[in-house]
Amino acid sequence: MATAELARPWSSSVTQSIRDFVRKHWFEIALVSPLFLYVFGSTLLPVLASILLGFQAPPRGGDFPTLRSYDLVVNSYEFVSAMTNTVIITFASVGLELGLGLMIAMMMARRFWGRGAFRAIMLLPLGIPVVVAASNMRYIFLSSGYLNQALMDLNLIAQPIDWMKEPYVLFTVAFTDTWKVTPLVMLILLAGLESIPTELYEAAEVDGASAWRRFRHITLPLLRPAITSAVVIRGIDAFRIFAHPMGLGVSRTTPVLSTFAYYEYQRVYWTTSAATSTILLVMILVTVVLYVRRAGTEEIAG
Amino acid sequence: MNDESGREGLVPRRINWRKTLRKLWFALLVLLVVAVTIAPVYFMVSLSIMDPSDFFRPDPAYYPRHPTTQWWDRVLKSDTLYPAFTKSLTVATVTTIVAVLISTPGAYAISRMAPKVKYVLILALFFTRMYPEIGIALPVAVLFLRMGLYESAAGLVLAHLILVLPVCAWILVGAFETIPRDLEEQAAVDGASRLGTLWRVVIPLAAPGISVAAIFTWLLSWDEVTYARFLTLLHPTLPIQILDIIGRSGPTVVATWATIVTIPVVIITYVMQRWLRADYLAGAVKG
Repeated sequence: MATAELARPWSSSVTQSIRDFVRKHWFEIALVSPLFLYVFGSTLLPVLASILLGFQAPPRGGDFPTLRSYDLVVNSYEFVSAMTNTVIITFASVGLELGLGLMIAMMMARRFWGRGAFRAIMLLPLGIPVVVAASNMRYIFLSSGYLNQALMDLNLIAQPIDWMKEPYVLFTVAFTDTWKVTPLVMLILLAGLESIPTELYEAAEVDGASAWRRFRHITLPLLRPAITSAVVIRGIDAFRIFAHPMGLGVSRTTPVLSTFAYYEYQRVYWTTSAATSTILLVMILVTVVLYVRRAGTEEIAG
Repeated sequence: MNDESGREGLVPRRINWRKTLRKLWFALLVLLVVAVTIAPVYFMVSLSIMDPSDFFRPDPAYYPRHPTTQWWDRVLKSDTLYPAFTKSLTVATVTTIVAVLISTPGAYAISRMAPKVKYVLILALFFTRMYPEIGIALPVAVLFLRMGLYESAAGLVLAHLILVLPVCAWILVGAFETIPRDLEEQAAVDGASRLGTLWRVVIPLAAPGISVAAIFTWLLSWDEVTYARFLTLLHPTLPIQILDIIGRSGPTVVATWATIVTIPVVIITYVMQRWLRADYLAGAVKG
């Protein structure tokens, strides 16, 4: 009450303008508010709760603030391996997706016989549920699976390789993610490719620029905004990777941050789970900010 | 290519080896990419009808030499299939209905705002997708445990809405943007209220776009893993059911389950493609 009394002299103009704004835009506000209240309420509040929970005593909270949960997490061998695995998988899968996505997008930009069918087949993985995509890879990457079988039939290897064990398993997880989302990266890059004026290529060809130089000096620079958005979208998702190691059945032996947090939650260690998710959030934020800033300054410099 | 056709009459025709080689290399690349894309799905379907004698051996067969329906029989008769299927179906359908109801008005309002405001609002919605889902799922799970919503379909709907609302709203903003404002102004001149215009003019015109958003939302919920993993244990959805049997059952059984989860997705994606091609605005603008 007292604060309201004190606030009155300066707040009357503010409340007046808010009232005017509401009176003018009440229809828009009424239409938008359920959506925004739900989306922000159901993300900001839980994330805040998670951050606070991380600074409480293990296993289930209380005694705020304390760093004991972080202490427990950082000193656990499993967390350290989850952290390195997450980083390696993220870089490997984003790199693979970008390379393959660009290759397929450039193939798609050509005219060739069967292009329609090729396009339809390329989009197939988008329609396959993540768990299915991951469990399908088991038939291929199990030591008695089809990859080893094919490699042995081709006389490339003599003994089966265990693709589900370190260090190969990191590649297996990255490849699973790559199989599932390369079509998405490809679509983003294809949209970028199609926005590059063909006159540029024609002019470069007249000037005698080789295919590689045209790619290096026209395609890549003009594709940079599309590449940036693909890297940011995919990078965020790759850091949060969860279903792939689970669906491959390797989440116990090869933890990533999300699965580590899940198993902590499952054994009712809520605070360490929350601390892990906070660490992951910070990792995502720092990476995105660094990347966007670098990509942004390069764009200005170029 | 043009300069070559110009030369054609003067120089005797011969095979351009470099060009042929390049074409061959391109064709091989296409085949390789296609093979890698199709292989996992092919092996899933193939394994679901494969006889154990074909797979459980040192050199598994690449195709079912002795097709069998025993895995399908076993999975279709399993008493865990129908509860999981019903749960997934209920959650995905209810999530879709609620998501469309909440995001349709919001997306319409956003689509009619100034470009700058629109951009900021959409970006703000997508910013929420940056948070790790585990950080959201954990407090939600703790809360649901206390409220008795753990394991419930209703709880899962509430969680899936967090995931699907930004995507659903984003698609709908795009759908509403394609509808010319002239039509609304026309309706206003004719004396319709703003809500009446939205309900009787804009929404019917945006119906195909709304269907696309709804289908997309449905698929997101049907495929969802993280929230479902955190919020269910004994009464899982279909994807979680698959995760649970991966360690316990052989590849043939897992493949059969996986095929069952995929079938509705394939049907729905096919239906969606037909919607996407519909040239739905032509009639309204001409009339």
